[in-house]
Parts: sequence; C-alpha cells; structure tokens
Amino acid sequence: MSESNFVKTICGYCGTGCGLVLEVQDNKIVKIRGDKDAPVNKGQTCVKGAFAYEYVHANNRLSAPLIRKAGKLVESTWEEAYQYIANKLTGIKTTWGPNAISMFACARSTNESNFITQKFMRTVIESNNIDGCNRT
Amino acid sequence: MGSNTTEAHPIIANRMKKAAKSGLKIIVIDPRRIDMVKVAHRHLQINVGSDIALINAFIHVILKEGLYNPTFIQQFTIDFDRLAKQVELYTPEYASVITGIKAEDIISTAREYATSNASMIAYTLGITEHHCGVNNVFDIANLALLTGNIGKVGTGIMPLRGQNNVQGAGDMGCLPNQLAGAMSLADDEYRARFEKEWKVELNPHAGDTQTRTFDRLEMGELKALYVIGENPLLADVHMNHTKTLFEKLDLLIVQDIFLTDTAKIADVVLPARSWGEVDGTYTNTDRRVQRVRKAVDAHPNTKEDWEILCELSTLMGYPMHYNSSEEIWDEVRKLAWEMYGGITYTRLDREYSIHYPCPNENHPGTFIMHERFHNQESVVKKSPFVPVDYTAPLELPDEEYPFTLTTGRRYESYNTHSQTRHYASGVKVKQTEETVDIHPDDAMALNICDGQVVKVRSRRGELEVKAKITEQVVPGLVFMSFHWSETPTNVLTLNEYDPISGTAEYKACAVSISKIS
Repeated sequence: MSESNFVKTICGYCGTGCGLVLEVQDNKIVKIRGDKDAPVNKGQTCVKGAFAYEYVHANNRLSAPLIRKAGKLVESTWEEAYQYIANKLTGIKTTWGPNAISMFACARSTNESNFITQKFMRTVIESNNIDGCNRT
Repeated sequence: MGSNTTEAHPIIANRMKKAAKSGLKIIVIDPRRIDMVKVAHRHLQINVGSDIALINAFIHVILKEGLYNPTFIQQFTIDFDRLAKQVELYTPEYASVITGIKAEDIISTAREYATSNASMIAYTLGITEHHCGVNNVFDIANLALLTGNIGKVGTGIMPLRGQNNVQGAGDMGCLPNQLAGAMSLADDEYRARFEKEWKVELNPHAGDTQTRTFDRLEMGELKALYVIGENPLLADVHMNHTKTLFEKLDLLIVQDIFLTDTAKIADVVLPARSWGEVDGTYTNTDRRVQRVRKAVDAHPNTKEDWEILCELSTLMGYPMHYNSSEEIWDEVRKLAWEMYGGITYTRLDREYSIHYPCPNENHPGTFIMHERFHNQESVVKKSPFVPVDYTAPLELPDEEYPFTLTTGRRYESYNTHSQTRHYASGVKVKQTEETVDIHPDDAMALNICDGQVVKVRSRRGELEVKAKITEQVVPGLVFMSFHWSETPTNVLTLNEYDPISGTAEYKACAVSISKIS
C-alpha cells in the first residue's frame, strides 16, 4: 500500500460548505475528516460528509457515452456522441429556432462548469432557456 | 421556519444548538416536531401552508403594540400604510384558527422577535415549496423590514441552501433571466460587457424556468433538453406526468456520473466527472467562495462538465478552449468584477474563503450584506413592503383523500440518493428504505402497525410503503421523503406551482392511506 496523501476540499452535499480533508491511498479516498482550519465547520462533519463518499469509486459509474439505437442505449465513442448531439441540436435549432432547446444546469457542479454551461447556451445555442434545480 | 436543520443542514444545526446553550432563544415554526424542538424556547406547530396567516398576525401584534422601528421604516422603506391595512384582519385569534397555534404564543413570539437586540429568520423549502412560496418570502421580508432586523450582526434572513453550489450556479448565470454576476440580462450595459468579451450578440429576453420548460414541452414547443447532474424524473412533482412529457422530446441529453432514472430514458448519455475528481470553486449558503480540489484521478473515460461543453461548442462552430478551471474563473472575475474581481485562487488558497462581493484584491470580502441600512447617511433605493394574503394549500384533504402529505429530506440520504447509496463500509445507516410517517392516533384508527406496508394514493398516483408510527407528525398529517427510486414519492405530489418562482407545492397534497388486504 502506498503512502497516504491528504487533500483539502469542500463538501459536495448541502450548501453549508464544510471544509474537509480527504485521505487518499492508491488513488482512492479512504477516509474523510472535518478540516479544523475550515471557518464554516471547524473540524465537524455530518454523516454524509464524512462517510458517503464511496460513490466516487462505485463500479456502476458511467464509463462511456451512450447513444440510443433501436430503442436501446449502447456504448459509443466520445466523437460519435459529440457528432450525434451536434447534428441533432443544429438541426433542431435550424428547424424550430433556439427557443426549442432548454438546459437544466447542475447545482452540484463547480462555479466554473456552471459559467461554461450558461456561456454554451447563450453563445452556441443562442437561448436563455437555462435553469437549475433551485426550484426543487 | 420550515427548516428541518438537524437533518438537512446538520453542521448549521450544531451551531444553532451550541448558541442555544449560551442563551440564544430559538423558536421553531414547523408542522412537525423536528429534532430542533428539543433545544427550542418554543415550538409553533403550524398547520401546513398557513405561514402567511402567522406572519401577518406577528405584524399585526407588532403594529398594535408599537414594537416596530419607525426611524428605519421612514428612512429605508415605502408602502408601510399598505402593509398596516393588509394585516388589520389578522388578529392573533383569527390567525390561531388558520394556523392551529394558540393566540398567546403568536403574541409572545411577535414580541420576542421585535424586541430582542437582534433577531434572525432562517428558512428553507418549508417556506418556498408552496403555491404561495414567493409570498411567504415577501412576508418574512416584511417582518424583517418592520423591525429593522437586517444588515447587522445576528439579524437578517437566511435561506439555507440545499445543494453545495445552488447559490453559485445561479450567480454564474444558470438562470433564465441573469448573467454571471447575478445581473439582469435586460441590463444593456452589463450585457454589452459579455457581448464584447464573447464576440457574439446576446438575446436580452429572459428564457424559460424549468416549470415553463415543462409547460412548453406539453404544448409541443420544446424539442431538445440537456440535463446536467440532475434527476428531474424522480425529483419533480407528479412523476407519471413528467415521464410522459420527456417522451415528447426529439432529443434528451443527460450528463451524469450514474445511469439515473432520467438517464435511462435519454437519447444520449455523457459520462461526467464527480466531486473529488475536479478542481474549481463552490459558493455556499452565506456567499463564501471556497476552493474545491481534485483528490483522485478521474474514473476512466469520463470528462469534466466544462470540458464536454467546450468540445461540443467548438464542434458546433463556437470555439471555446480553457486549460484549467482557474482560467475560467479568471474570465468570471474579469466580467463580474464587482462580485468576484478580488477572489483569486491564490487568495482562496491562503484565506480559505472569501464572501462576495469582493471587487478587488485589497477588498476583504463582504461578511454582512445590506449594512447600508444602518448608515444614517446612506441614500439608498427604498425597499417596499409587499403586503400579502393567506391562501390555503391548493389540494386540501377531503373524504376520499383525508390526509395531508408533506415531503422533505432525511438525515442520511441526499436528494434522489444516487450518491448516498454508497456509504463507506462499516457505516450503519439507520433508514434503509422509505417510510410514510404517521401519527399513532391515525395508525390506530386505520389499524396499522409500525413497519406494516400500506398503500398511499393521491389523485395522480399510488405506491406501497412501510408505515412508521411517530409523534413527529400530528394527526391528519403524513410525511415522506423523495430519496428512494423504489418508492417514488413524487408520483403522489401535486403539479401546482408558485406563479412567480415556478416552485412546486411539494409541501402539501391530499392522500389516502389504506391497508393492503
């Protein structure tokens, strides 16, 4: 077993924003503790923040793009999936206009990914139909 | 109000409890006898959906007893007379009938809120997930403005945000009406800033909320939907209807880390990276921007959300290239400098967190918002009181559906549970399946025992679930969460929405409960 390294980050569950220290061994998170230096939680964690991290390494994670063919989702390459989406979106935009396309953005993802999400919708799709799960 | 803080925001609850030990008076307003009641000075066990009747009665008492802040009202607000007129009807006795709370408790609470040195209101979805959610929030703001409980330490209105970055996602412009920096799309000058940087012309008209998207889907006007890291099929109200709507789409794209129920019905699914695998920032419930760091190499053949969108964008004729999340953040800082200009990755590494607004690198960040309200010299746009009226939940119990179902979250699970299914080994999870929480009196009347599987039915759907007998709910009220796809609670919930926010009435619908013969 290789040595552990420790990475400071912010919890990905609720909006409290607790600071966590992740103990990593062999590219796996093996333990999480609250970060004593964190201004929000000062070392505390809840059960989700401390223990509900195995999903990152779950073996049922998606590991390839999927495209529906003859009614079934089948694995594809990234290039094929991109091309499929680009063709479909361009077609819909040309036929029905930008207003026929909507985006549900992700309140779990980073600020940076969210910034790009809205930039994508507003520049490429030319639509402001973008919203998050802030209403659920 | 309407916040089961212990289960949904456990660390905030710890801080509240600690403060209660050192003398803070906590008043819990909630239809259920939640854990926080244990440390509370008083529990107002309100009838579901009657918040406005209660708040208007608080305002009535504060006005009648002269406990408001006349200087503050005069300097910073307008429409005080309209508010006073609106609440005339709401005597504590009248509100008592609607809310189920004793008139004397309403009076005492109003006095305590108005006369303490500092009073704060923390709320969550118990306030917003109603057909009158926006009016509920207006009335909370009325109460804070009336007493000047805003803009100084220990006061204010705290909506506790449910997702790690729901605040940040909105602030970044993932809303139909605003650009990054939480500024309106309709602001010509602000929009021009983005048009110049991005070298495109932007549409100035607000787009569709999720709710409106569903309406337009129904009308056949929407052809493609791109969903990132969300599971609306399970999370949205009236699930059977949501499914029919999604089937109308020509193209459903889902980008996620698991094959969620929504992904299963998609046309294309893209494998994304997860927390722990990416760098960036989140913005928490009190406006702190904090650094999220990559801890492990990503799951094979996955890509980061922004990377996917950049590659797709480039393929579709609008090239976007970034080498790192920091490069993206620097574009955010440049465009929305009033909010983030001074929040660099280097500073975040050093200072841990910075509250926006923080316009430049010498600025310490803004710990308390709205401090202008306590500067006698400040000339600010006056805040209007917005008088509102109580309206009953849209689907009340009747003979056929005699119970009110209210929904929420449970401690160990998170939203549609795709992540919290995976606890570290050795952790003993208490709630391993969904239950319908029911009062002992109701259980006795229906001849149901604890753990017995019952049928719950609404006008929209039905399911089978184990009963949990508990005094946390009152007779006539039952509770369920929406965490388990095996027990999709949202087949029951009502597709009625607040007309302004588009938030659905998750907190109240009528159901029947019966034994399975």
